[in-house]
Amino acid sequence: MKLEGFPRTIHLRDGLTLSVRPTAQGDEAALLHFYRELPQEDRLFLKDDVTTESWAERFIRRIGRGEATSLIAELDGKVLAEATLYRATHGWSTHVGEVRVAVARAYRRKGLATALAGLLVKLATDQGADKIIVEVVENQVAALRTFEKLGFHKEAVLRDHVKDRSGIRRDLLILANDVSHIWAAMEALVADTPLEEL
Amino acid sequence: MSKTEIRVGGLGGQGVILCGMIIGKAAAIHDDKHATLIQAFGPEARGSACSAQVIVSEEEIGYPYVRRPDILVLMSQDAYHQFAPELRPGGLLLYEEELVHLDGRLPAGAKAMGIPATRFAEELGRRLVLNIVMAGFFTGVTGLITHEAIEKAVKDSVPKGTEDLNMRALRRGLEYGREAAAKANEGGV
Repeated sequence: MKLEGFPRTIHLRDGLTLSVRPTAQGDEAALLHFYRELPQEDRLFLKDDVTTESWAERFIRRIGRGEATSLIAELDGKVLAEATLYRATHGWSTHVGEVRVAVARAYRRKGLATALAGLLVKLATDQGADKIIVEVVENQVAALRTFEKLGFHKEAVLRDHVKDRSGIRRDLLILANDVSHIWAAMEALVADTPLEEL
Repeated sequence: MSKTEIRVGGLGGQGVILCGMIIGKAAAIHDDKHATLIQAFGPEARGSACSAQVIVSEEEIGYPYVRRPDILVLMSQDAYHQFAPELRPGGLLLYEEELVHLDGRLPAGAKAMGIPATRFAEELGRRLVLNIVMAGFFTGVTGLITHEAIEKAVKDSVPKGTEDLNMRALRRGLEYGREAAAKANEGGV
């Protein structure tokens, strides 16, 4: 699906302006470069080994199949952050979107993750999602705050679900943002009730 | 044609009234024409027969009821059974092609053009924008209201946060309608 309104610029708290655009075929090498530069402990929290060429190829194919929508934030052609919205295309959770945001260390705490996550929430709503979830490890305090600001709340805790590099087990939090109220308003509008009630 | 009588028909819950309202709003508010809307419901709104009568005219409208529709926009088989015989000879039927199956009850010379609006709406993310796809299809085929006017009417009418999906639904129907109209003009209806 072609995304409207891109590329667009976002302004960070420190005055830097980045360009954001949808990830597309041909971005494999830039994505790999970005993820290979992330510290290993950051990559541990990702579900896939994002440093392999096979992952990059699979990821781009998922975008092509409509299972993922990905945004890249870049400066002078260098990827500084990548954010993905995953949508199941069949099964019982097609109404749910899952987001993931990764930002290069040097560009954190500047509002970049918040801006990208906000764009993904908007894209999920535009695609008709009822609910958006994100997984955050308990000690990722900044990420937790970012998503809470965007309307997410803790919905589940998986105890000792992740193990960091030093072997410490940590809780994995599942945060959820129920955006179904937006669609409830639309459902009321198409309910074909008498006009004076609209 | 200075006056066009339109009936939008379907089931409650398909957004039949909203579809009619958007067409009327586009004509009256954004295209500087005159329009009226009359709504009718079955015994219960959701799932029952439901229709909207819309008149669009260059001049003031003295009588707001549709007597012999020039255009039918139909989204259910029941609505087709009920309203197809009322269509003016030589009139135009726009229908949801996966929900309505045509038979011999259309009047002589009537044209019929279908669109898989429900499938399009589902592909876009929400079945409930089916009526907006139909409003776009109506605009693309008939040209009775302008593209700009229908876009403004949709934006004015839908809840905040749903505008993008509704606009994509409108454009999908509009483009499909334009292509269908172009094919028909080449002699293919």
